[in-house]
This record gives sequence, C-alpha cells and structure tokens, in this order.
Amino acid sequence: MNAAHSNTLPLRTLALFVLWLLLSESYTLGHMAIGFAAALSVAFWNSSYLSRSEYQVRWVQAFAYLPWLFGRILASGAHLSYLILHPKLPIDPKMIHHRPRLSSETALVILGNSITLTPGTITLEASSDELVVHAMDDESTMDVVNLRLENKISGLFVRRASRQ
Amino acid sequence: MEYVGAGLMTVGLLFMVVAAVGMVRLPDVYTRAHAVALTDSLGAVFLLAGLAAQQGFSPNALRILVVLSLLYILNPVIAHATIRAARRSGLRPWTREKP
Amino acid sequence: MTGFSLVVLDVLAVLIVVYLYRVVRGPTVYDRILGLNGISTKAIILLVVIGTVYERVAMFVDISTGYALLNLVGALALAKYLEQRGAL
Repeated sequence: MNAAHSNTLPLRTLALFVLWLLLSESYTLGHMAIGFAAALSVAFWNSSYLSRSEYQVRWVQAFAYLPWLFGRILASGAHLSYLILHPKLPIDPKMIHHRPRLSSETALVILGNSITLTPGTITLEASSDELVVHAMDDESTMDVVNLRLENKISGLFVRRASRQ
Repeated sequence: MEYVGAGLMTVGLLFMVVAAVGMVRLPDVYTRAHAVALTDSLGAVFLLAGLAAQQGFSPNALRILVVLSLLYILNPVIAHATIRAARRSGLRPWTREKP
Repeated sequence: MTGFSLVVLDVLAVLIVVYLYRVVRGPTVYDRILGLNGISTKAIILLVVIGTVYERVAMFVDISTGYALLNLVGALALAKYLEQRGAL
C-alpha cells in the first residue's frame, strides 16, 4: 500500500459507510460501529486492487455517458426483438475483429462491458490489441465499427498532468 | 406512481417474453447468449425500475436500485465468461449459408 | 396493486419453465449454463416481487443480492473449469 492509496482511504471508507447507513436503516450505536468497522476494513483490504493510472475520469462526461448508453441499449434491444419475433428469423451472425485505439485498460474494460451490455453484440475475447465481437447482424455491428462507442469512452478519460 | 411502475413492469415483461422466445428459436449457443443478454440488460432493468417506482421515494426503492446496478455490472461478465469458454473449447458459431 | 404483482409472478414462473426446457434439452453444456443464468436472473426478480407483495422488501432484497453474488461466483467457476477442461 503506497502513499497515493492511503490518501483516498478516508473517502472510500466514508462512501461505504454512507451506503451502509442508507441500506441498514438502523441507527443504534452498536450497528453503526459494526458498519464503520466493516467499511474501514473493506476499504483497507482492497487498497492493493486500485491501479494507479495516469488517467483521470471526467465525471461530467461519465454521468452523461450512462443515459446515452441506455438509449443505445433501448434502440438495439428493439432491433433484436424484431429479429427474434420475425417469422423468418432474418439473423446473420458474424464475428468482427476490432482493434481498439484505447490506451488505458480501464477504458478497454468499459468498452467490452458496454458492447456486451448492448443487445446484439457480445465480446468474445478482450486483449489490449484486439476485441473479438460476435454480432447478430450488420445493423447491430454499427456502433462498434463506426467507432461511436469507442470515441465516447475515450472522451471519458483525460491524461493526468505528470506531477510526482 | 403506482401506474408508472405497472407500465414499466409491463414493458419489462414483454422483453422477458421475447427473450424466452429467442431462447427456444435461435440456432446455437452464441445467438442464444444474445437473448439472455436481452433479458439482463432490458427486461430486468424495466421490471426492477417499475418495482422501485411502486415503492416511491423510500429506502426500499434505493435497495431495489442497488440490486439493479449489481445485475447490470455482473451479468455481462457472466455472459462473456460463458461464451469465451464455448469459443475456446472450439465450438463453431452458426452462420447463414452464403448463396 | 397486489393483483398485478401476482400476474407478474405467474408470467415469470412460466418463463422459467421455458428456460428449463433449454437447460434440459440444450445440445451443449454451454446452453445449459446460459439457461441457468437466465433462470437465476428471473429468480432474483421473483424474490424482489415477492418482497413487495409481503411488504418485507428489506429482507428479500438482501436474499436476492446474495443470490446474485453466488450466481456470479458459480457461473465464473463453471466457465473457468470448462475452459481448461475442453469441450464435452
């Protein structure tokens, strides 16, 4: 555990403790003490899993991204429902090999997760230089091929100013 | 609020039914995974959001939203893991024959 | 509103039977895992709906959260195992 992680420890503990208070709804001293101990230990033991990346999240874009993604999910969900309910089953499954131009691993994980979450496309393999995507038909592949998702996600991160 | 919840739940049920139809009709495991992803990402969201709307603004609605976000984060992981195992074990995906 | 909740419960129960067909019938073991995953998603929602019917949401949400997490661990373990073992 290095210095950068111990800086955010109180913040992470506080967030977990607030979640505990909201969910447990019992404000006796004993329960709150247990909750605080649990929050502190979870935040402490998970410190080593935080990667110290040189990228910073742009929170405004991140919160705008979720409704946009849900809109895309709705649109492609309606398209997939049409494909399934059509009497002739007009599907044309195919594999796409896509080379993402994202530099941070967090962005890659978000891209893979968003692709899987969108109905009609599923990430089969993910590595830092290639994503293999299985798609239901040509229309489902559009968001991956024309880089709309990728450009949105790369807009969520900004390179941290290097200060050591 | 009650009727908003009921409407959302009806939409969610429709997506669930469509996904079950897909589960029966679709030809192979890769395409069926799309149907399961449809239930997870749309059916469950609308149903749980409808339930939360029926609860109004209360801690109970918040609890249901926690379950919702948990499903949203975890289910793509499960679908991806299953499908990746299928591919690595050498299962050929179904394709439409080219004329 | 209880009547509508009961309708939702019935529809979900029927859908679980449809998924069970895929689990029993499924040509490959991966179809069975996918079917079980779909069933557990529905079981999670069923638990929350039952909670609203009995007005004990807090308790049932805890149960369904545990169910979701156990389902994740189980599915990941199965997928990892089959990946190393090869096709059945």
